Amino acid sequence: MRLPVMLKGPTGCGKTRFVEHMAWKLGKPLITIACHEDMTASDFVGRYLLGPEGTYWQDGPLTKAVREGGICYLDEIVEARQDTTVIIHALTDDRRILPLEKKGELVKAHPDFQLVISYNPGYQSVLKDLKESTKQRFCALDFDYPIARIEADIVASEAGLNQQDAERLTKIAGKSRNLRGKGLDEGVSTRMLVHAGRLMSAGLPITAACQFALIIPITDDPEMRSTLAAAVDACI
Amino acid sequence: MPALRDAFKGPHRENYLRAYARLNGAGYGAAVLRAFEASAPRVAGQVGPDQAIALAADASRIAIKATPRAAGKYLDLCPTMALKLQKAEQFDEWRAMIAAVLKSSPKAVLPLLSRSEMLFDRLGLEPLGAWIQTGLRVAGQDTEQSLAYFQLETPEAQRLLERYAGEANFPSLESGLKSFYTALWRRTPVLREAGPNGPNGPVRRTSFSGGVIQMPSAYSGFRGTEKQLYRAAVAHVGAHKTYGGALFQLGQLKPLQVAVVSLLEDARVETLAVRDMPGLERLWRPFHTARHDGLATAQNLFAGLAWALIDPDFQPTHGWVRKGVDMFHAASGRLHDPAISRQIGNILGNDLGQTRVQFDANSYVVQPAYRDDNLGLWELPADPDTPPPTEELEAPLADLRQTETDENPHDRKQEWSEPETPDVLEPVRKVSADSETGRKVSSLPEYDYHAGIERNDWVSVNAYEPVLGDAGFWGQLKDRHGATLSRIQKAVATSETGKRRKLKQQLEGETLDLDAAIDTAIALRSNRQPDPNVYESITPPPRSIAVHLLLDISRSTADPAGPGLNILDIERDAAAILATTMSQLGDDLSITAFSSSGRHDVRVIPVKTFENPLDEATGLALSGLRPGFSTRIGAALRYAAQSMSGRLRYRKIVLLVTDGEPSDIDMSDPDYLVEDARRAVQQMRSQGIDAICVALGNDAGQRQTEIFGRKSCVQISDVATLPNKLSTFYLRMTR
Repeated sequence: MRLPVMLKGPTGCGKTRFVEHMAWKLGKPLITIACHEDMTASDFVGRYLLGPEGTYWQDGPLTKAVREGGICYLDEIVEARQDTTVIIHALTDDRRILPLEKKGELVKAHPDFQLVISYNPGYQSVLKDLKESTKQRFCALDFDYPIARIEADIVASEAGLNQQDAERLTKIAGKSRNLRGKGLDEGVSTRMLVHAGRLMSAGLPITAACQFALIIPITDDPEMRSTLAAAVDACI
Repeated sequence: MPALRDAFKGPHRENYLRAYARLNGAGYGAAVLRAFEASAPRVAGQVGPDQAIALAADASRIAIKATPRAAGKYLDLCPTMALKLQKAEQFDEWRAMIAAVLKSSPKAVLPLLSRSEMLFDRLGLEPLGAWIQTGLRVAGQDTEQSLAYFQLETPEAQRLLERYAGEANFPSLESGLKSFYTALWRRTPVLREAGPNGPNGPVRRTSFSGGVIQMPSAYSGFRGTEKQLYRAAVAHVGAHKTYGGALFQLGQLKPLQVAVVSLLEDARVETLAVRDMPGLERLWRPFHTARHDGLATAQNLFAGLAWALIDPDFQPTHGWVRKGVDMFHAASGRLHDPAISRQIGNILGNDLGQTRVQFDANSYVVQPAYRDDNLGLWELPADPDTPPPTEELEAPLADLRQTETDENPHDRKQEWSEPETPDVLEPVRKVSADSETGRKVSSLPEYDYHAGIERNDWVSVNAYEPVLGDAGFWGQLKDRHGATLSRIQKAVATSETGKRRKLKQQLEGETLDLDAAIDTAIALRSNRQPDPNVYESITPPPRSIAVHLLLDISRSTADPAGPGLNILDIERDAAAILATTMSQLGDDLSITAFSSSGRHDVRVIPVKTFENPLDEATGLALSGLRPGFSTRIGAALRYAAQSMSGRLRYRKIVLLVTDGEPSDIDMSDPDYLVEDARRAVQQMRSQGIDAICVALGNDAGQRQTEIFGRKSCVQISDVATLPNKLSTFYLRMTR
């Protein structure tokens, strides 16, 4: 059916991993576009460039995926400007077309083309929210950090860490997630735990690994850092 | 004098003599002259001869504006300060601080000078400057007030001193403790600073009951480890709340038994907490330092038992302690049951009761310091008239009740309406006498729709000094709206105001710049060097915006808008959040609160002007606003427009927050003021100033739409959501 899919969830909980896994399982090429706020429509669909023989058209990554088929994954779509994201609208309903306005071309999507976007509701703010018209074009999957037991398994296997240390890291992550919206914008993500775990399996003591991989990246507020360090200390 | 000769060489010597002669001739008395003579060479030696010579001019200024005595004091102090400051620039900075005080409040110079050394030692130079500046701004024109501030007699002065000194006490640690508790226990605690004194002397232990945790404002005797101690204390309370059961019944228990049962309960919850978070043990154990094997007093035995229960390495010597430890360990499989504490505690309490060990319930203080006073564990008699079951419990309990009412934030309004309640606002309230007399700042026209004419100079605008409110305003705001603030902070970072510009001939860009592309193509074909800059892009627009926020503080804003809050409380928070947002963006903001009492008295209170930064003084002024009088919207709008007419900004907005339609005591025709306000809005728009209205409440909005037009008017029916929405709305409209 190639329905467009939206993956919702906090950063570092495994959205991108999931898409990669699905692409591998389906045996389809994956084109990932990391969206950012300076992104314009041209960065998606392509633009005219000037060559020795005059101007020529260069397809953007989205156009490429539409023509050749495959999964196009727009990572953190809310980061892109809202007027930019409307270009995907025609791709996400039954038309399945991509109009290249500047080139005057209507690209019909390849039967294997599929659009997946990810979106972090934590980032959601008054300005950075998906338009209702964009939102309603997608089916959605909710992601969150795994439950402690599974998260510990993930950290253990990804980082090559022993189970006990992985559980300690997971507990620490839980403490930081208690502060979500109460001093921290987001809690420590599974990805961060894997980083910390790798450092630990390379021989760094847990306090230093947490400081380096969890606390310093997550906040700039010295007081919050000191609080987190104390919370880490309480867990080990 | 050889010292003099060494200190002032060459031309400096002449300057020195000239300054000396001038001071001598001015006749401030021999003391001043002597002080100069003594201080100048030493200052010259420390920071330089120029500084030393300048002291003469400083001294005569102080002698004229304040007193010769203050000048003498100043000169006496200078060598000490020069020694402390070392560098000439820093010494000059300090001199400038004194000069600033001299300028706005000469009387305060002497008290400031006599405390200068202490203040400097506690604060350091830069925070000292900030403390002085805040003091001057807080006191404004009021000499009494500034005198009191610099004599450290007002609570503000003390509180700000503590804050700027960065000493670790409860106020400075509060937010960190809150986060720490939340992180560990997944619940956001309500932390309060306990009143300074309970009936048994200063409050020395944490106390919790109901939803509130009260902490002493400082722990004495723990210098350097205060932060750890406070953390240990909140972690301990969290353990109680997480692993504790229902309140214990007092029944027939004696104070001694109550103390022992509490102690076991402390150990029980701590043990459980340490099982979950092993690191907590390292947090708690260092505080178990009390003597435990000296005299077998109850206090010592308790301290020993407390230690032995949490530290397996501790070898108890006393039989009673050993018994307690053994019983506790025997029950280690059933620790989740709070009845254990009661069971073991009863037995141990009985044992101790029979050994004639002295226990003085009145002087008993729970050890170690991080533990709470255990009042939160017991079901206490609700009726204060009931005779106290034990002396020990009643006394702190009375204290608890008293401080609870003092500290309850919802009582703010009550404090305003009952001036006899002693609280921190007391000394500040004296200012309000002066803020009763306004100063005329402007005459404005008003439009009469009946006659179809505009009457010039019809309305008088009087500015009133802000009444100063709560020094802790910003901290409380963070408590109430922390989530909103951080959310808005993020949104703010991405919002754009101003005009976009096209950039031609760029190396990168969205589209081809056609002219440049043609030129380059021509260059290519004619074998000349082509210019690669052939694209066109658009600049992110620069921010350029000024907002004048008008807060309606008319009588009707006293209406309730939520539990313990009135409309003005909510407007206040909204204004503060908006101000925070805007100061982060670097936008210009002015906040004026307005009301009116007839056309001769449109009352404006400048909470924050465009020139002043957002700081403590803004918080004080905001929290001091009180509802009263009527709403003459047109005049307020014109006043705001006037204030920003000279500002060079791409967008200028007057944002009005009101809860009702315009009305005033001298106007019975409801349409008159509406028509006038509408006219004011039209005139402003023609000057390029947008007028936007936020109408509060269910009934509001009707007339506002007529005045401002539907697009420029937002109605917010749930008043309590205003703080959140106002900033959101601001971001949206400035996009």
